Amino acid sequence: MNLLNFNSEQCGRIRRHLDAYLSNELLVETTSDVLRHLESCEACSRELEARTRVRDALRRVAVSQIPPEELRQSIQRQLRKRQPGFLGGSRRLTWAVALAGVIVVVLGGIATEQWIRVLRGRRIVASVLALGVSDHLQCAIKGHNYPNIANPPEQLRQKLGPQYAGLLQVVQQKLPGFEILEAHICSVQGSPRKYVHFIARGRGTILSVILTRSEGAQFPNGKAFRSGAFGSVNLYEAHLEGMNAAGFESKEYLGFVVSDLSQDTMVQIASELAPPLKAALDAGSVSEARVDQDAAPCARGAGASRPRVLIT
Amino acid sequence: MDLFFHPKPRVEDFEAAAMPHFPDLYRTARLLAQDSTEAEDLVQEVYLEAWKSFHRFQTGTNCRAWLFKILHHRLHHFRRRWAKAAKVEALENPEDQDSLIAETPVPQEIRDEDVLQALGRVPIEFREVVLLADVQEFSYKQIAETMQVPLGTVMSRLSRGRKLLRQELAGVAHSFGITPAKDPPRAGESA
Repeated sequence: MNLLNFNSEQCGRIRRHLDAYLSNELLVETTSDVLRHLESCEACSRELEARTRVRDALRRVAVSQIPPEELRQSIQRQLRKRQPGFLGGSRRLTWAVALAGVIVVVLGGIATEQWIRVLRGRRIVASVLALGVSDHLQCAIKGHNYPNIANPPEQLRQKLGPQYAGLLQVVQQKLPGFEILEAHICSVQGSPRKYVHFIARGRGTILSVILTRSEGAQFPNGKAFRSGAFGSVNLYEAHLEGMNAAGFESKEYLGFVVSDLSQDTMVQIASELAPPLKAALDAGSVSEARVDQDAAPCARGAGASRPRVLIT
Repeated sequence: MDLFFHPKPRVEDFEAAAMPHFPDLYRTARLLAQDSTEAEDLVQEVYLEAWKSFHRFQTGTNCRAWLFKILHHRLHHFRRRWAKAAKVEALENPEDQDSLIAETPVPQEIRDEDVLQALGRVPIEFREVVLLADVQEFSYKQIAETMQVPLGTVMSRLSRGRKLLRQELAGVAHSFGITPAKDPPRAGESA
Protein backbone atom coordinates (compact mmCIF):
# COMPACT_ATOMS: atom_id res chain seq x y z
CA MET A 1 0.00 0.00 0.00
CA ASN A 2 1.43 3.32 -1.05
CA LEU A 3 -0.35 6.24 0.57
CA LEU A 4 0.26 9.64 -0.93
CA ASN A 5 -0.61 12.91 0.68
CA PHE A 6 -2.60 15.28 -1.47
CA ASN A 7 -2.73 18.83 -0.20
CA SER A 8 -5.60 20.01 -2.41
CA GLU A 9 -5.21 23.68 -1.54
CA GLN A 10 -1.50 23.80 -2.34
CA CYS A 11 -1.83 21.49 -5.34
CA GLY A 12 -4.64 23.59 -6.70
CA ARG A 13 -2.48 26.70 -6.41
CA ILE A 14 0.48 25.01 -8.10
CA ARG A 15 -1.62 23.52 -10.86
CA ARG A 16 -2.95 26.93 -11.73
CA HIS A 17 0.67 27.81 -12.45
CA LEU A 18 1.44 24.70 -14.46
CA ASP A 19 0.38 26.16 -17.82
CA ALA A 20 2.63 29.17 -17.36
CA TYR A 21 5.38 26.90 -16.01
CA LEU A 22 5.11 24.73 -19.08
CA SER A 23 5.37 27.83 -21.27
CA ASN A 24 8.28 29.19 -19.25
CA GLU A 25 6.29 32.30 -18.44
CA LEU A 26 6.58 32.25 -14.65
CA LEU A 27 8.65 34.61 -12.58
CA VAL A 28 11.76 33.08 -11.04
CA GLU A 29 10.27 33.06 -7.52
CA THR A 30 7.08 31.33 -8.62
CA THR A 31 9.07 28.82 -10.65
CA SER A 32 11.02 27.97 -7.48
CA ASP A 33 7.75 27.46 -5.58
CA VAL A 34 6.46 25.16 -8.30
CA LEU A 35 9.68 23.14 -8.40
CA ARG A 36 9.74 22.80 -4.62
CA HIS A 37 6.18 21.52 -4.64
CA LEU A 38 6.81 19.13 -7.51
CA GLU A 39 9.68 17.58 -5.61
CA SER A 40 7.36 16.61 -2.80
CA CYS A 41 4.10 16.00 -4.70
CA GLU A 42 3.90 13.01 -6.94
CA ALA A 43 0.36 13.83 -8.07
CA CYS A 44 1.37 17.23 -9.41
CA SER A 45 4.55 15.77 -10.91
CA ARG A 46 2.43 13.26 -12.76
CA GLU A 47 0.09 16.00 -13.86
CA LEU A 48 3.01 18.00 -15.20
CA GLU A 49 4.36 14.90 -16.90
CA ALA A 50 0.95 14.29 -18.49
CA ARG A 51 0.79 17.83 -19.80
CA THR A 52 4.34 17.62 -21.06
CA ARG A 53 3.55 14.38 -22.81
CA VAL A 54 0.61 15.94 -24.62
CA ARG A 55 2.73 18.91 -25.62
CA ASP A 56 5.56 16.70 -26.84
CA ALA A 57 3.11 14.61 -28.82
CA LEU A 58 1.78 17.77 -30.39
CA ARG A 59 5.29 18.89 -31.30
CA ARG A 60 6.07 15.48 -32.74
CA VAL A 61 2.97 15.60 -34.90
CA ALA A 62 3.81 19.12 -36.05
CA VAL A 63 7.33 18.13 -37.05
CA SER A 64 5.96 15.17 -38.95
CA GLN A 65 4.07 17.52 -41.24
CA ILE A 66 6.54 17.78 -44.11
CA PRO A 67 6.16 21.03 -46.06
CA PRO A 68 5.69 20.14 -49.74
CA GLU A 69 8.61 21.31 -51.84
CA GLU A 70 6.22 21.94 -54.74
CA LEU A 71 4.36 24.46 -52.58
CA ARG A 72 7.57 26.33 -51.82
CA GLN A 73 8.47 26.44 -55.51
CA SER A 74 4.96 27.49 -56.49
CA ILE A 75 5.07 30.36 -54.00
CA GLN A 76 8.47 31.48 -55.26
CA ARG A 77 7.28 31.37 -58.87
CA GLN A 78 4.28 33.52 -57.99
CA LEU A 79 6.43 35.96 -56.07
CA ARG A 80 8.69 36.48 -59.07
CA LYS A 81 5.69 36.98 -61.32
CA ARG A 82 4.55 39.72 -58.99
CA GLN A 83 7.90 41.45 -58.83
CA PRO A 84 6.91 45.11 -58.89
CA GLY A 85 7.89 47.42 -61.70
CA PHE A 86 9.22 50.93 -61.37
CA LEU A 87 6.19 51.93 -59.33
CA GLY A 88 7.34 49.85 -56.37
CA GLY A 89 4.28 47.60 -56.34
CA SER A 90 2.04 50.12 -54.66
CA ARG A 91 -1.46 49.91 -56.08
CA ARG A 92 -2.27 53.40 -54.84
CA LEU A 93 0.87 54.73 -56.45
CA THR A 94 -0.02 53.01 -59.71
CA TRP A 95 -3.42 54.65 -59.66
CA ALA A 96 -1.91 58.00 -58.74
CA VAL A 97 0.52 57.84 -61.65
CA ALA A 98 -2.23 56.70 -64.02
CA LEU A 99 -4.42 59.59 -62.88
CA ALA A 100 -1.52 62.01 -63.24
CA GLY A 101 -0.96 60.65 -66.75
CA VAL A 102 -4.59 61.26 -67.67
CA ILE A 103 -4.40 64.78 -66.25
CA VAL A 104 -1.19 65.47 -68.16
CA VAL A 105 -2.76 64.18 -71.38
CA VAL A 106 -5.92 66.25 -70.87
CA LEU A 107 -4.03 69.39 -69.87
CA GLY A 108 -1.55 68.78 -72.66
CA GLY A 109 -4.42 68.49 -75.12
CA ILE A 110 -5.98 71.69 -73.84
CA ALA A 111 -2.64 73.50 -73.90
CA THR A 112 -1.90 72.26 -77.40
CA GLU A 113 -5.33 73.36 -78.59
CA GLN A 114 -4.80 76.76 -76.98
CA TRP A 115 -1.36 77.03 -78.51
CA ILE A 116 -2.68 76.17 -81.98
CA ARG A 117 -5.51 78.65 -81.48
CA VAL A 118 -3.05 81.38 -80.50
CA LEU A 119 -0.83 80.59 -83.47
CA ARG A 120 -3.79 80.73 -85.83
CA GLY A 121 -4.99 83.97 -84.25
CA ARG A 122 -1.58 85.59 -84.61
CA ARG A 123 -1.41 84.53 -88.23
CA ILE A 124 -4.80 86.19 -88.83
CA VAL A 125 -3.65 89.37 -87.05
CA ALA A 126 -0.51 89.43 -89.21
CA SER A 127 -2.46 88.83 -92.40
CA VAL A 128 -4.90 91.66 -91.65
CA LEU A 129 -2.09 94.06 -90.71
CA ALA A 130 -0.30 92.99 -93.90
CA LEU A 131 -2.92 95.04 -95.79
CA GLY A 132 -1.76 98.24 -94.12
CA VAL A 133 1.92 97.37 -94.41
CA SER A 134 1.50 96.61 -98.10
CA ASP A 135 -0.36 99.89 -98.71
CA HIS A 136 2.32 101.83 -96.80
CA LEU A 137 5.16 100.22 -98.70
CA GLN A 138 3.56 100.48 -102.13
CA CYS A 139 2.12 103.96 -101.91
CA ALA A 140 4.35 105.82 -99.47
CA ILE A 141 7.73 104.13 -99.51
CA LYS A 142 8.13 102.62 -102.99
CA GLY A 143 5.63 104.90 -104.75
CA HIS A 144 6.85 107.96 -102.82
CA ASN A 145 3.42 109.51 -103.27
CA TYR A 146 4.08 112.48 -101.05
CA PRO A 147 5.78 115.80 -101.59
CA ASN A 148 8.89 116.93 -99.76
CA ILE A 149 7.01 120.01 -98.67
CA ALA A 150 3.64 119.24 -97.15
CA ASN A 151 0.60 119.95 -99.25
CA PRO A 152 -1.59 122.64 -97.75
CA PRO A 153 -4.39 121.31 -95.52
CA GLU A 154 -7.06 122.72 -97.80
CA GLN A 155 -5.64 120.77 -100.70
CA LEU A 156 -5.53 117.62 -98.57
CA ARG A 157 -9.15 118.09 -97.50
CA GLN A 158 -10.08 118.48 -101.13
CA LYS A 159 -8.31 115.24 -102.03
CA LEU A 160 -10.05 113.45 -99.23
CA GLY A 161 -13.43 114.76 -100.21
CA PRO A 162 -16.14 115.94 -97.87
CA GLN A 163 -16.74 112.55 -96.27
CA TYR A 164 -13.11 112.08 -95.13
CA ALA A 165 -11.92 115.68 -94.90
CA GLY A 166 -12.94 115.81 -91.27
CA LEU A 167 -10.53 113.05 -90.44
CA LEU A 168 -7.53 115.24 -91.34
CA GLN A 169 -7.93 117.36 -88.25
CA VAL A 170 -8.14 114.24 -86.04
CA VAL A 171 -4.96 112.87 -87.55
CA GLN A 172 -3.15 116.21 -87.23
CA GLN A 173 -4.18 116.57 -83.59
CA LYS A 174 -3.35 113.01 -82.61
CA LEU A 175 0.02 112.93 -84.36
CA PRO A 176 2.01 115.53 -82.44
CA GLY A 177 5.53 115.87 -83.77
CA PHE A 178 4.45 114.68 -87.21
CA GLU A 179 3.77 116.75 -90.28
CA ILE A 180 1.00 115.56 -92.61
CA LEU A 181 2.60 115.64 -96.04
CA GLU A 182 -0.14 114.01 -98.04
CA ALA A 183 -3.67 112.67 -97.76
CA HIS A 184 -5.64 110.97 -100.49
CA ILE A 185 -7.90 108.09 -101.35
CA CYS A 186 -6.03 105.32 -103.05
CA SER A 187 -7.09 102.18 -104.83
CA VAL A 188 -5.24 98.87 -105.02
CA GLN A 189 -4.37 97.87 -108.54
CA GLY A 190 -6.26 94.74 -109.57
CA SER A 191 -8.50 94.93 -106.52
CA PRO A 192 -11.75 96.68 -105.75
CA ARG A 193 -10.35 97.68 -102.38
CA LYS A 194 -9.69 101.36 -101.73
CA TYR A 195 -8.21 103.13 -98.75
CA VAL A 196 -7.85 106.55 -97.20
CA HIS A 197 -4.15 107.28 -96.81
CA PHE A 198 -2.49 109.89 -94.61
CA ILE A 199 1.30 110.17 -95.07
CA ALA A 200 3.15 111.94 -92.29
CA ARG A 201 6.78 112.72 -91.57
CA GLY A 202 8.29 112.91 -88.11
CA ARG A 203 10.84 111.37 -85.78
CA GLY A 204 13.10 110.89 -88.79
CA THR A 205 10.77 108.64 -90.74
CA ILE A 206 7.62 108.36 -92.85
CA LEU A 207 4.45 107.12 -91.18
CA SER A 208 1.17 106.09 -92.80
CA VAL A 209 -2.31 106.16 -91.35
CA ILE A 210 -4.52 103.96 -93.50
CA LEU A 211 -8.27 103.37 -93.33
CA THR A 212 -9.96 100.75 -95.50
CA ARG A 213 -13.29 98.98 -95.54
CA SER A 214 -12.96 95.64 -93.80
CA GLU A 215 -14.90 93.72 -96.47
CA GLY A 216 -15.18 90.68 -94.22
CA ALA A 217 -11.64 90.83 -92.91
CA GLN A 218 -11.43 91.18 -89.14
CA PHE A 219 -9.10 90.71 -86.26
CA PRO A 220 -9.65 87.55 -84.18
CA ASN A 221 -11.40 87.70 -80.83
CA GLY A 222 -9.41 87.06 -77.70
CA LYS A 223 -7.13 88.85 -75.33
CA ALA A 224 -4.24 86.68 -76.40
CA PHE A 225 -4.10 88.37 -79.78
CA ARG A 226 -4.43 92.04 -78.95
CA SER A 227 -1.77 94.42 -77.67
CA GLY A 228 -4.14 96.43 -75.56
CA ALA A 229 -7.59 97.90 -75.21
CA PHE A 230 -8.13 101.65 -75.20
CA GLY A 231 -11.72 102.42 -74.36
CA SER A 232 -13.80 100.36 -76.71
CA VAL A 233 -10.94 100.01 -79.19
CA ASN A 234 -8.73 96.96 -79.32
CA LEU A 235 -5.23 97.34 -80.78
CA TYR A 236 -3.28 94.70 -82.65
CA GLU A 237 0.32 94.78 -83.73
CA ALA A 238 2.80 92.89 -85.88
CA HIS A 239 6.25 93.24 -87.37
CA LEU A 240 6.06 92.66 -91.10
CA GLU A 241 8.52 93.29 -93.93
CA GLY A 242 10.73 95.48 -91.77
CA MET A 243 7.79 97.62 -90.65
CA ASN A 244 5.89 97.77 -87.41
CA ALA A 245 2.17 98.00 -87.78
CA ALA A 246 -0.59 98.64 -85.28
CA GLY A 247 -4.22 98.14 -86.23
CA PHE A 248 -7.75 98.59 -84.98
CA GLU A 249 -11.23 98.14 -86.34
CA SER A 250 -14.51 100.03 -86.37
CA LYS A 251 -17.86 98.73 -87.46
CA GLU A 252 -16.95 98.78 -91.15
CA TYR A 253 -13.33 99.85 -91.36
CA LEU A 254 -9.91 98.61 -90.56
CA GLY A 255 -7.37 101.19 -89.46
CA PHE A 256 -3.58 100.86 -89.67
CA VAL A 257 -0.65 102.90 -88.48
CA VAL A 258 2.57 101.76 -90.16
CA SER A 259 6.19 102.88 -89.99
CA ASP A 260 9.63 101.61 -89.08
CA LEU A 261 9.41 103.08 -85.58
CA SER A 262 9.51 100.68 -82.64
CA GLN A 263 6.52 98.53 -81.84
CA ASP A 264 5.95 100.28 -78.53
CA THR A 265 5.96 103.64 -80.29
CA MET A 266 3.52 102.41 -82.90
CA VAL A 267 1.14 101.05 -80.26
CA GLN A 268 1.40 104.32 -78.36
CA ILE A 269 0.65 106.38 -81.51
CA ALA A 270 -2.20 104.04 -82.49
CA SER A 271 -3.68 104.22 -79.02
CA GLU A 272 -4.00 108.02 -79.47
CA LEU A 273 -5.36 107.85 -83.00
CA ALA A 274 -7.67 104.85 -82.87
CA PRO A 275 -10.44 106.01 -80.49
CA PRO A 276 -11.27 109.30 -82.26
CA LEU A 277 -10.89 107.76 -85.72
CA LYS A 278 -13.16 104.84 -84.77
CA ALA A 279 -15.69 107.27 -83.33
CA ALA A 280 -15.68 109.33 -86.51
CA LEU A 281 -15.95 106.26 -88.76
CA ASP A 282 -18.72 104.74 -86.68
CA ALA A 283 -20.60 108.04 -86.75
CA GLY A 284 -21.34 107.34 -90.41
CA SER A 285 -19.78 110.45 -91.82
CA VAL A 286 -18.04 108.33 -94.42
CA SER A 287 -19.92 106.87 -97.35
CA GLU A 288 -18.73 104.25 -99.72
CA ALA A 289 -20.03 106.28 -102.67
CA ARG A 290 -17.69 109.11 -101.91
CA VAL A 291 -14.75 106.72 -101.47
CA ASP A 292 -15.43 105.14 -104.81
CA GLN A 293 -15.83 108.48 -106.47
CA ASP A 294 -12.64 109.98 -105.16
CA ALA A 295 -10.44 106.91 -105.41
CA ALA A 296 -7.47 106.91 -107.71
CA PRO A 297 -4.89 104.17 -108.15
CA CYS A 298 -1.61 104.70 -106.40
CA ALA A 299 1.57 104.49 -108.38
CA ARG A 300 2.92 101.05 -107.67
CA GLY A 301 6.28 99.53 -108.03
CA ALA A 302 6.94 96.47 -110.09
CA GLY A 303 5.35 93.30 -108.76
CA ALA A 304 2.78 95.13 -106.72
CA SER A 305 -0.06 92.85 -105.84
CA ARG A 306 -3.06 92.73 -103.66
CA PRO A 307 -2.20 91.63 -100.14
CA ARG A 308 -3.62 88.27 -99.40
CA VAL A 309 -5.85 88.06 -96.37
CA LEU A 310 -5.93 84.83 -94.51
CA ILE A 311 -9.33 84.31 -93.02
CA THR A 312 -9.96 80.84 -91.79
CA MET B 1 5.73 60.61 -48.36
CA ASP B 2 5.95 56.95 -47.52
CA LEU B 3 3.18 56.30 -50.00
CA PHE B 4 5.16 57.50 -52.94
CA PHE B 5 8.79 57.14 -52.01
CA HIS B 6 9.19 53.84 -50.21
CA PRO B 7 12.18 51.95 -51.62
CA LYS B 8 11.38 49.36 -54.22
CA PRO B 9 11.32 45.93 -52.53
CA ARG B 10 13.29 43.11 -54.11
CA VAL B 11 11.82 39.66 -54.21
CA GLU B 12 15.24 38.25 -53.33
CA ASP B 13 15.24 40.23 -50.08
CA PHE B 14 11.73 39.05 -49.31
CA GLU B 15 12.60 35.43 -49.94
CA ALA B 16 15.72 35.68 -47.82
CA ALA B 17 13.70 37.06 -44.91
CA ALA B 18 10.47 35.08 -45.25
CA MET B 19 11.15 31.69 -46.83
CA PRO B 20 13.16 30.26 -43.89
CA HIS B 21 9.87 30.32 -41.94
CA PHE B 22 8.03 28.35 -44.59
CA PRO B 23 8.20 25.02 -42.70
CA ASP B 24 6.89 26.53 -39.45
CA LEU B 25 4.09 28.32 -41.26
CA TYR B 26 3.10 25.24 -43.18
CA ARG B 27 3.09 23.02 -40.10
CA THR B 28 0.94 25.46 -38.16
CA ALA B 29 -1.38 25.95 -41.12
CA ARG B 30 -1.63 22.20 -41.61
CA LEU B 31 -2.70 21.68 -38.00
CA LEU B 32 -5.15 24.55 -38.18
CA ALA B 33 -6.69 23.63 -41.51
CA GLN B 34 -8.98 20.73 -42.25
CA ASP B 35 -6.71 19.21 -44.86
CA SER B 36 -3.44 19.70 -46.69
CA THR B 37 -5.04 21.54 -49.62
CA GLU B 38 -6.54 24.12 -47.29
CA ALA B 39 -3.20 24.44 -45.54
CA GLU B 40 -1.35 24.99 -48.81
CA ASP B 41 -3.84 27.63 -49.92
CA LEU B 42 -3.51 29.33 -46.56
CA VAL B 43 0.30 29.39 -46.64
CA GLN B 44 0.33 30.60 -50.22
CA GLU B 45 -2.01 33.46 -49.37
CA VAL B 46 0.15 34.36 -46.38
CA TYR B 47 3.25 34.70 -48.56
CA LEU B 48 1.52 36.66 -51.31
CA GLU B 49 -0.06 38.96 -48.75
CA ALA B 50 3.29 39.39 -47.02
CA TRP B 51 5.00 40.23 -50.30
CA LYS B 52 2.37 42.87 -51.09
CA SER B 53 3.08 44.62 -47.81
CA PHE B 54 6.79 43.86 -47.64
CA HIS B 55 7.62 47.53 -48.29
CA ARG B 56 6.09 48.24 -44.88
CA PHE B 57 8.09 45.55 -43.13
CA GLN B 58 10.96 46.98 -41.12
CA THR B 59 14.16 45.11 -41.72
CA GLY B 60 15.58 43.79 -38.48
CA THR B 61 12.20 43.23 -36.82
CA ASN B 62 10.77 39.80 -36.20
CA CYS B 63 9.84 38.48 -39.64
CA ARG B 64 8.57 35.20 -38.19
CA ALA B 65 6.13 36.98 -35.88
CA TRP B 66 5.07 39.22 -38.76
CA LEU B 67 4.30 36.21 -40.96
CA PHE B 68 2.34 34.50 -38.20
CA LYS B 69 0.36 37.67 -37.70
CA ILE B 70 -0.58 37.58 -41.38
CA LEU B 71 -1.39 33.89 -40.99
CA HIS B 72 -3.73 34.76 -38.15
CA HIS B 73 -5.53 37.37 -40.28
CA ARG B 74 -5.82 35.08 -43.29
CA LEU B 75 -7.14 32.40 -41.00
CA HIS B 76 -10.25 34.49 -40.39
CA HIS B 77 -11.03 34.39 -44.10
CA PHE B 78 -10.53 30.68 -44.20
CA ARG B 79 -12.61 30.09 -41.11
CA ARG B 80 -15.71 31.08 -43.02
CA ARG B 81 -15.16 28.00 -45.11
CA TRP B 82 -14.66 25.81 -42.13
CA ALA B 83 -18.18 25.13 -41.03
CA LYS B 84 -17.12 23.00 -38.14
CA ALA B 85 -15.48 25.82 -36.25
CA ALA B 86 -16.91 25.77 -32.78
CA LYS B 87 -18.21 28.77 -30.91
CA VAL B 88 -15.61 30.27 -28.65
CA GLU B 89 -18.07 32.34 -26.69
CA ALA B 90 -19.63 29.40 -24.92
CA LEU B 91 -16.26 28.03 -23.86
CA GLU B 92 -15.09 31.37 -22.64
CA ASN B 93 -18.07 31.48 -20.32
CA PRO B 94 -16.74 31.08 -16.75
CA GLU B 95 -19.45 28.52 -15.97
CA ASP B 96 -17.87 26.17 -18.47
CA GLN B 97 -14.57 26.31 -16.72
CA ASP B 98 -15.74 24.09 -13.90
CA SER B 99 -16.12 21.17 -16.22
CA LEU B 100 -12.53 21.62 -17.28
CA ILE B 101 -11.01 21.78 -13.84
CA ALA B 102 -10.90 18.04 -13.34
CA GLU B 103 -7.73 16.70 -14.91
CA THR B 104 -8.39 14.30 -17.73
CA PRO B 105 -6.22 11.20 -17.82
CA VAL B 106 -3.73 11.14 -20.66
CA PRO B 107 -3.19 7.90 -22.58
CA GLN B 108 0.17 6.27 -22.06
CA GLU B 109 0.57 5.83 -25.75
CA ILE B 110 -0.28 8.86 -27.84
CA ARG B 111 -0.39 8.14 -31.53
CA ASP B 112 0.11 10.87 -34.13
CA GLU B 113 -3.21 10.18 -35.79
CA ASP B 114 -4.93 10.49 -32.41
CA VAL B 115 -3.34 13.87 -31.87
CA LEU B 116 -4.42 15.02 -35.30
CA GLN B 117 -7.96 13.82 -34.74
CA ALA B 118 -8.18 15.32 -31.26
CA LEU B 119 -6.68 18.58 -32.38
CA GLY B 120 -9.23 18.84 -35.17
CA ARG B 121 -11.97 18.77 -32.55
CA VAL B 122 -10.56 21.66 -30.55
CA PRO B 123 -12.17 24.95 -31.56
CA ILE B 124 -9.81 26.84 -33.79
CA GLU B 125 -9.39 29.87 -31.51
CA PHE B 126 -7.98 27.59 -28.81
CA ARG B 127 -6.12 25.38 -31.25
CA GLU B 128 -4.33 28.40 -32.67
CA VAL B 129 -3.09 29.56 -29.26
CA VAL B 130 -2.00 26.06 -28.30
CA LEU B 131 -0.04 25.68 -31.54
CA LEU B 132 1.59 29.10 -31.24
CA ALA B 133 2.60 28.46 -27.63
CA ASP B 134 3.40 24.74 -27.54
CA VAL B 135 4.70 24.12 -31.06
CA GLN B 136 6.04 27.48 -32.23
CA GLU B 137 7.06 28.49 -28.69
CA PHE B 138 5.90 32.08 -28.99
CA SER B 139 5.71 33.97 -25.73
CA TYR B 140 2.34 35.05 -24.36
CA LYS B 141 3.18 38.63 -25.31
CA GLN B 142 4.01 37.68 -28.90
CA ILE B 143 0.81 35.66 -29.19
CA ALA B 144 -1.21 38.56 -27.81
CA GLU B 145 0.34 40.86 -30.44
CA THR B 146 -0.16 38.34 -33.22
CA MET B 147 -3.80 37.73 -32.42
CA GLN B 148 -4.41 41.26 -31.21
CA VAL B 149 -6.05 40.10 -28.00
CA PRO B 150 -5.24 40.91 -24.35
CA LEU B 151 -2.59 38.87 -22.56
CA GLY B 152 -5.23 37.44 -20.20
CA THR B 153 -7.18 36.10 -23.16
CA VAL B 154 -4.07 34.33 -24.41
CA MET B 155 -3.52 32.72 -21.03
CA SER B 156 -7.11 31.58 -20.62
CA ARG B 157 -7.35 30.28 -24.19
CA LEU B 158 -4.09 28.40 -23.83
CA SER B 159 -5.19 26.81 -20.57
CA ARG B 160 -8.55 25.77 -21.94
CA GLY B 161 -7.09 24.76 -25.27
CA ARG B 162 -4.68 22.38 -23.60
CA LYS B 163 -7.42 20.90 -21.49
CA LEU B 164 -9.72 20.50 -24.44
CA LEU B 165 -6.99 18.79 -26.41
CA ARG B 166 -6.39 16.47 -23.53
CA GLN B 167 -10.07 15.67 -23.24
CA GLU B 168 -10.38 15.01 -26.93
CA LEU B 169 -7.23 12.95 -26.88
CA ALA B 170 -8.59 10.79 -24.05
CA GLY B 171 -11.84 10.36 -25.93
CA VAL B 172 -10.10 9.36 -29.16
CA ALA B 173 -7.76 6.99 -27.35
CA HIS B 174 -10.64 5.41 -25.46
CA SER B 175 -12.52 4.78 -28.69
CA PHE B 176 -9.49 2.85 -29.91
CA GLY B 177 -9.25 0.88 -26.66
CA ILE B 178 -6.18 2.64 -25.35
CA THR B 179 -6.13 2.83 -21.58
CA PRO B 180 -5.51 6.20 -20.03
CA ALA B 181 -2.74 6.53 -17.51
CA LYS B 182 -4.09 6.28 -14.01
CA ASP B 183 -4.19 9.33 -11.82
CA PRO B 184 -2.39 9.09 -8.51
CA PRO B 185 -4.70 8.33 -5.60
CA ARG B 186 -6.06 11.28 -3.74
CA ALA B 187 -5.50 11.79 -0.02
CA GLY B 188 -7.04 9.01 2.00
CA GLU B 189 -7.12 6.67 -0.96
CA SER B 190 -4.99 3.56 -1.25
CA ALA B 191 -3.07 2.82 -4.40
